[in-house]
Order: sequence, then C-alpha cells, then structure tokens
Amino acid sequence: MEGKGLLRSQVDPALKALRPGVRRRSLTCGVLVSDEAGRFVLEPHGLADQENLSPFGYADRLGALAGRYLQARRRSVSSELDYLILVPTLRCNLACSYCQVSRAALGARQHDWSDETLGHVLDLVSGLRARAVKIEFQGGEPTLRPDLIAKVIAAVPPGVDALFVICTNLQTIDDTILAIFDRDDVLISTSLDGPLELHARQRSDTEQTRRFAENFRFLLDRYGPNKISALPTVDPSHPPRPADLVDAFAAFGMRSIYLRPINFQGFARKNHSAAREIGEAWSDYHRSFIRYLVERNWQDRGRVFEETYFSLILRRIFRPGSNRHVDLRNPNPMGQDYIVIDHDGTAYPTDEARMLTRAGIIDLSIGDVASGWQTEKRAALNAASTNDGDPACETCAYKPFCGRDIVDDISRYGTTSLPRHETEFCRRHLALFDFAFEMIHSDSDKTRYSLGHWLNLPGPFPRVVAVS
Amino acid sequence: MIALTLPAASDADRPFVTRLGDGEKPAPTHSRLEHFEEGRSIWCGDHGLLEIFHAGENVQGDVVLVEPAKGRIERLIRTGSRHNTLLVTEQCDQLCVMCSQPPKKSHDDRFGHFTKACMLADEGTLIGISGGEPTLHMEKLLQMIEAVLARRPDLSFHVLSNGQHFTPEHAMRLRDPRYRRVAWGIPLYSSDPVRHDTIVGKPGAFERLMESFVTLFRAGARIELRTVLLSQNVADLAPLARFLAANLPQIEQWSVMGLENAGFARRNFGDLRVALPERFAEVAPALDLAVLHGLPVRLFNIPLCHVPPAYRHLAVASISDWKKRFASACDECRAQADCSGFFEWHPQELVDRVAPI
Repeated sequence: MEGKGLLRSQVDPALKALRPGVRRRSLTCGVLVSDEAGRFVLEPHGLADQENLSPFGYADRLGALAGRYLQARRRSVSSELDYLILVPTLRCNLACSYCQVSRAALGARQHDWSDETLGHVLDLVSGLRARAVKIEFQGGEPTLRPDLIAKVIAAVPPGVDALFVICTNLQTIDDTILAIFDRDDVLISTSLDGPLELHARQRSDTEQTRRFAENFRFLLDRYGPNKISALPTVDPSHPPRPADLVDAFAAFGMRSIYLRPINFQGFARKNHSAAREIGEAWSDYHRSFIRYLVERNWQDRGRVFEETYFSLILRRIFRPGSNRHVDLRNPNPMGQDYIVIDHDGTAYPTDEARMLTRAGIIDLSIGDVASGWQTEKRAALNAASTNDGDPACETCAYKPFCGRDIVDDISRYGTTSLPRHETEFCRRHLALFDFAFEMIHSDSDKTRYSLGHWLNLPGPFPRVVAVS
Repeated sequence: MIALTLPAASDADRPFVTRLGDGEKPAPTHSRLEHFEEGRSIWCGDHGLLEIFHAGENVQGDVVLVEPAKGRIERLIRTGSRHNTLLVTEQCDQLCVMCSQPPKKSHDDRFGHFTKACMLADEGTLIGISGGEPTLHMEKLLQMIEAVLARRPDLSFHVLSNGQHFTPEHAMRLRDPRYRRVAWGIPLYSSDPVRHDTIVGKPGAFERLMESFVTLFRAGARIELRTVLLSQNVADLAPLARFLAANLPQIEQWSVMGLENAGFARRNFGDLRVALPERFAEVAPALDLAVLHGLPVRLFNIPLCHVPPAYRHLAVASISDWKKRFASACDECRAQADCSGFFEWHPQELVDRVAPI
C-alpha cells in the first residue's frame, strides 16, 4: 500500500482494519457515531448503515494516521508531580452540617503539621522539578496557620512557576493572611452554597455567615472577581432553585459555578437503591440547572454564567489533550502528578480518598510525606485506574471523552470490579454526555449562544451538520 | 520599504558571501568597516575592498551576497529582522491563480551561497526558505538544511512548499532530530479536491498533497497550513476547518491569510479578493470551528481594524518589515504595534479604509 496514491473515493477494505473502533449510541436527536479518536457524527435514526465506511469524512491513510494521533492526545500522560493538595491543619472555626470528618475543633491539639512533618513537606516542595506547579491549601481551615502557608510558598524553588490556591471559609481575615492573599500568584477559593439563608442553614449560625459575606465583598472590592472563585455544595435531595443559586453568585459578581453534590460518606451508600435515587435526582438537577443557564444567558446576554463541570465535559469532547482535570481523565494515574498530604503527613491519591479514610470506611492512604508513596498500594490502585480494555467502556461511544474515578467506585461499592455500567460514576457521566450531545446537535440559537461562550469561541457555537 | 539589494562595487572576480562586521572579532568570512560617509561605506575582507552605496540603510551585521559583475549586493540575512527569506528557486510546478511570485523556467543554483550565509547568521535566527517551489530541488534543499543545522543547531528554518514532492522514503530522513527546527509552510485551499486543484492550477495536486502529508506526519514534521482567502474558496473554509480537525489535527498552525496584491493576483485582484471587513461573517464560522476543535488558527495579512474585536486575538502582525506600510490615519491607532498593516503595494484606496483602534 505504501506509496500508492490515495483516492478518497476508492476505499480499500483493508483500511477498515486501520480505523479505530466505531461505536454508536442512540440519542433523541439521532444516533451518535464516534470512533476512538473522539471524532463523531450524528446519523438519523434508522439509517444504521454499518457499511458506511466514511461517516467522519475520511477513508484513507491520512485519516487513520490522524485518528491515532487524536487517540494518543486523548490519553493522559503522567507527568512529574505538579499539583499538591496540602492540609496544614484539620482544625476549623466552622462546623458545617455536611463536614463531619474533615475537620477538628478549633482548640484541638495535634491536628496541625508537626515540625517534623513540616520539614518533610518543605523538602517535597523544594524538590519540585515541574516547570509549573499548583499548590492548594485545604483543611480544616488553612488560614488558621498562615505561618505554614508562608513557609510552603517560600520553599518553592526559583525557576518553578507556582500558583497557590487557598481554600478558605473567609471567617476571619487578619493582616498576616491578607499579606499572603495580596500576592499575584495566590488565588482564593471559597464556598457559597446559594442564598445566604441556605448558606447559613448548612453552617452553624447566621452571624458567621454575615461575617463571611462581609469578608467576601471586602476581597472582591480589593481584587476584583478574577482572583476568587466559589463553589456551592448542594444537597441533591433538597437543592436550591437554580435561579436562587445563580442570583446568589451573581450578587458577588461570580460567573462560574461548579456544582458539587454533598458527599454522603458511608451514608446511604450501602443502600443501593437509595444511592441510585440520589444519583438520578442529582443528574436531573444538574440538567435542569444547565437548561436554566441557557435561558438566563440568552435573556441577559451581557452576563454569561457557566457550570464548570459541564464546560469541562464540552472541552473534553472537542479538544483532545484537555487532560488536566484530575477527576476526569483516562488513564487516571494515582500518586503520580498530584498528591494530597494530610495534617499528619499521610499521603492520599485524592481528597476523596482522604475523606474515606478519615471516615473509617477504607484506608486509601498510599504512603506518607516522609517515606514517599512508591508503594504497592499505589500500584494496585493504578492497575485499575483506566477505562482501557474494560468491556463496557470499549463499546461506549463516550469512552474517548470520559475518565476513570476508582476512588468513587471504592467508596460506593467497596470494589473496583463492578460492571462499569452499574456504577454511579458511569450512570452520571452517560447522562451528562447524552445531554451534552443533544445540546451540541441542537439548532436553537439560545443553546448555541451558551455553548459558544462555555467553549470560549469568538462567535456562536457552529451548527453541527448531521449526515443524511 | 526596506531595500533588499544595494548598488555596490568590488574587485573580486566571483560572487561571494560575507558578513558586514559589526565590531565582533574578525573572521575570514567577515568584512571590516574601513570607511563610512553619507551615502557610501567601504569594507575590507579576504575578497578585497567592497564599496556599498546606500541611502540611510544600516547594513552593519547583515550577511550579504556580493555580485561584482552585477554591481550589487543582496542582503540575504539582515541582522535583527524576523523576516529573512532565501529565494532558492523561481521554478514551480503549480500555477496558483493568485501567485504573488509567478514562476520562471530557468533556475539559478545558489544553494552554495545560501549555505555559507546561514552559517554567518546571528545566533537563533529563523531563516525562511521560499520560491518558486523549493522542493523541486529536494536533495540540495535537504542537504543545505542538514549541513547548516549540524553546525548551527541554534538556527531554525521555515520552508514554504506546495508539498507535491515528498515520497515515503523521506519519512525516515525527516525524522532526524535536526528537523525539529524546521517548519514547513504548506498551502491547502479547500477540502474539495477539485477546488484546490483549480486554484493551484494542477490536476491531482490535492491527492498528491494528502500523500505527502502522510509522509510528513509519519516523520513527525512540523506543518504550518496556509489558506489564502479567495472568493473561490471562502465558502469552503468551514468544511475545510472540519476536515482539518478530523484529518490533519497534527498541524502546528493554520494560517488564514489575506490576499497579497502582487503577481497574478494584481491582474484579478477584484475577482479574487474577499473584501474585509464587509465579508468577515463568511470567514468567522471557520474560525469558530477551528477554535472549537483546538486547532491553532491565526489570521495573517489582515489589519486589526478589519477584524471584529472577538476575533482580533487571532490576528498576527505578519507582513514582513520590508514590505509593510500603514495609512496616514494609522498614526493615531493604539494597536499599530500589533497590526499586520498592509502590503506596500496594496491599493491606496483600500489602505485608506482604516478605523484606528
């Protein structure tokens, strides 16, 4: 075949073998056909033309070569350690209803890094070799220990481009923490659960919520909206009305909302059907929230709101190589490019793994900051942390875009070997991708307006042509 | 406009390449400034005396080809310029409707001079190679690139080519690490083979190009794809963007380029030209598609004020320094430093239609 001319009209049957596997999924708007490279077309229902060799507009060696390139781009490549989640203290000055395990009382002892642990953390940080790193401080409430934050910041080697994120409840802002906030390389992340009454209900009292709102505004006045992000923790059984939630964010000038369901550690998870109901309620809410955003963005075109996870889903559909989100990528290496270091120096592959361990459900620690995490436990997790070769995933039209979250599987089912399509992760993502592809093929100007903004296009989202 | 050739006198009996020394340590390949006065300078080197007549151009540091019989120097590599291009041949096997540099039958082999010139270039210089069609002389071209990069790994090349002459045997050769410093600028005008062939004036050119792409991508070659905006292909741009996303996602850049009013395009400028900013709406969907699929798309040769604000970040100040000009109204524009401006020979009435930003 080498060297022969490529005639697009003549298709060598042998080329069929070169083409990555084609998958189909039936949607309301038609049948979605995709290949492993993530190229896709929508065919009308009833066409079902298995002999349609060229649904993607190519049928030659160039297309096959491009397919292998795209497929490779869609796989995450483990890089050097460049993302640290640090928990300098587990103590917190709040007691939120949904946070039973990841906090300790304000006056508790032995819930901060010891001098020894601090030394190991600083060694870890000063040994970072990636060109750009992100270091996130979580808790507890990390601003209770600005001294530890400052020491970590100072330990970053020169030449490493570091970004720091401080996850804080904004209860108290003193001069020490403000000096840290003032740095250009520091971002602030906080929680805003919706309208302030709801925010207060999910916390201990109204007075504290009043102080949070005051501090939030103070920081927005000081830095503008780009330095601060907020995310709501939502109870899937009693979610706020989308309008109320968006209004609450709008009041603080925030445009990006990352909907995060409350994590019921242990609770309801052993009860399969209850968990499944919660999962479905969440998917329904998520969809209704996106629909609301589409309407609202169209009504008030100057202020476009997005739901961050849905924007990520869209980027992963269209842009091979969008692999930096550690909750949605394939394979999803554990303890490789990011790590969570707890207040006692224990190392976890994800923050959820830390919570599960703290809740006493299963020990998912993979090592500690003193001796590292090149452990058998990490190897065991990594062996399962992929969609490749999974019988359900390998026939799924969404595999090129999807990811793997084994910690979620373990937390719900105590195993990673449940058939994939029976897991909550799979159901939730099938629902999200179905919804995304229906939107992508929508002819509605409203939908295309929001899609264009969520994907940062200069103009509206282009009409996707279905084959006929 | 910057003069690329200057009148000169030399006693040498043959053409030679030299670097007009800028005070660095003397070398046999360099010429030393002996005398300078208004309108002329005198240089001294291994080839004897060289007298250059100029009107204000600073040639110090330039690498020049001295042609005694023609009484001139050619400034092959101008120091500090980002727009140095070596014209290796004027022959071409395509005949594009808008060709800015119509081909000639004869070929003057200057690869030897060019190789010497590259060796004398400033550290880190990007050297353009153009034609005609450089790959008509594939063996000499690749030999030059390989010889230069073997001794000057700091340099890099950008070769404009129609991509008609790569064969599968080139794949292994182009995998040499030196070719990481070589980018190929290759035009593709439409994903419709007939339209592409019609525009480039060569039946079968599209299919041959696709064959070359297979070779080039198997070699991991760096490709800049170029599409000149024409009335003939403006409707094909969006399908082309989809085609690129599915079949050529490896490209390093997709350059969508405004038409240059030179060569063949001069005769048919009115028929070929896509009038901007009026017809930008016909171009925009292709740009949206490219951004959607993460294709690194850029707009070339289009002044910023002819591009709607949402698309301006895609526009590049692309026109080479020596052939770029602005309208007088551009003096008050704040964006001039980032703007392509116009080709020196762009019709004056069109140049005047600017809207300072």
